[in-house]
Amino acid sequence: MADRVILTIGTKKGVFVADAAKPRRTFTLRGPFGPGVPVYSTLIDTRGTPRLYASSCNPFFGMKVLRSTDVGKSFKETKAAPAFPKEDGRALANIWALEAGSGKKDLWCGVEPASLFRSQDGGDSWELVPGISNHEHARKWQPGNGGLCMHTIIRDGSRVHLGISTGGHYVSEDGGATFRASNQGVGAGFAPDPYPEFGQCVHKIARHDAAPGRLYMQNHGGWADWTGPGGPRPDIGVLRSDDYGRSWQSIAKGLPSDFGFPIVVHPHSADTVYVMPLEPATRSCPGGAPAVWRSENGGGSWNRLARGLPKKQSYFTVLRDAMDIDRLKTPALYFGTTTGQLWMGREGGEQWDCLFDSLPPIHNVKVAVV
Amino acid sequence: MGPTPTITIHVPGPLRTYCGGAAQLSISAQTVRDALEDLQRSQAALYRNVCDETGKVRRHLNVFVNSDNVRDLNGVDTLLTAGDVVTILPAVSGG
Repeated sequence: MADRVILTIGTKKGVFVADAAKPRRTFTLRGPFGPGVPVYSTLIDTRGTPRLYASSCNPFFGMKVLRSTDVGKSFKETKAAPAFPKEDGRALANIWALEAGSGKKDLWCGVEPASLFRSQDGGDSWELVPGISNHEHARKWQPGNGGLCMHTIIRDGSRVHLGISTGGHYVSEDGGATFRASNQGVGAGFAPDPYPEFGQCVHKIARHDAAPGRLYMQNHGGWADWTGPGGPRPDIGVLRSDDYGRSWQSIAKGLPSDFGFPIVVHPHSADTVYVMPLEPATRSCPGGAPAVWRSENGGGSWNRLARGLPKKQSYFTVLRDAMDIDRLKTPALYFGTTTGQLWMGREGGEQWDCLFDSLPPIHNVKVAVV
Repeated sequence: MGPTPTITIHVPGPLRTYCGGAAQLSISAQTVRDALEDLQRSQAALYRNVCDETGKVRRHLNVFVNSDNVRDLNGVDTLLTAGDVVTILPAVSGG
């Protein structure tokens, strides 16, 4: 099977896989795989023979990692899932991020309570990464509405960026041995100090592979009207860094809301970034009219992309890992909704079509060409 | 204390894949805690589905001795007698 566009769709009731030939005219759906429990993270590992991974977050019997070696025709549990040492006192509550490492079978995994694990054997065994999991801040982080989750892992050689809700942005420059909080300019709306050292509710961080110094962040915004200690915090929700995450500046001007969950960078332009602004109270698009917003100048200005999307009475949420973009010459954007719709935005989001409209609530969407 | 009683653990369907397909396991244990520790040694994969890393029974599982939930008895320190049936069941929760 050459040059297929593969989508992994993590839902409340297992993982689905959709694939299509490169023109992306028709997607075929397979699944659900797993025992009908939530899947919060998936990974399409294109290093060598493609492997698909999915977390299987079983509230009854604990967390599992599923692996497919036949491009999503079947999944099996790996031999082990991440687990804290017994003496640690913490117990795994969820698996939020699966990312490819540097070695062929090297995997990184972000979990709840916020901690990092690594596997050197494709997910059959896991080791806690103490530099962040036992960081001096770790026991001070607080859970957000989704739990205390490590949801973002971005690697760039020996530099590793992590996003934690609510912990903030942490960076390692020694391959993950040590980490430091790096949140200058990242606001928090739920603490008297609007710019704490750590503890921000970062929702997602994204980066272009060829521009590792440029990072984009969707932070927990929606605090423009705050009247308590510290005063209002407008525009803290959408941010950019041009110095490898050392400092961050708002790029939220021009958006209808600075609250949202996903943030995605165009595969061929580090200046092109996508967000989905949501009303902070309802977690749905302003006016019940869904739209993705795109900036083509690094967040300097924004355009609304909604052709083909519902024009009214649509109140779904798009969660932090439920939007992705493929890497074809003219990329398509994809997002999944909490109401079980999977949308594809052709031509970089210019024209939207609903691929599947009755899936379970969608947590996670990843795309790759294999 | 008398001889260690032999009891039966009834394994729910979704977990049988972790113990070679067995629906029941026969083990010797004085208490539910002993029974779980036996599982940890003899059926490690099954045990990881029943207890988390800290050794606690997972939050959404119920453990019964015969027809009584151990929460209404003496928890994992509930004493067992010969012929008891320990049943592990997912709690009815969610929607």
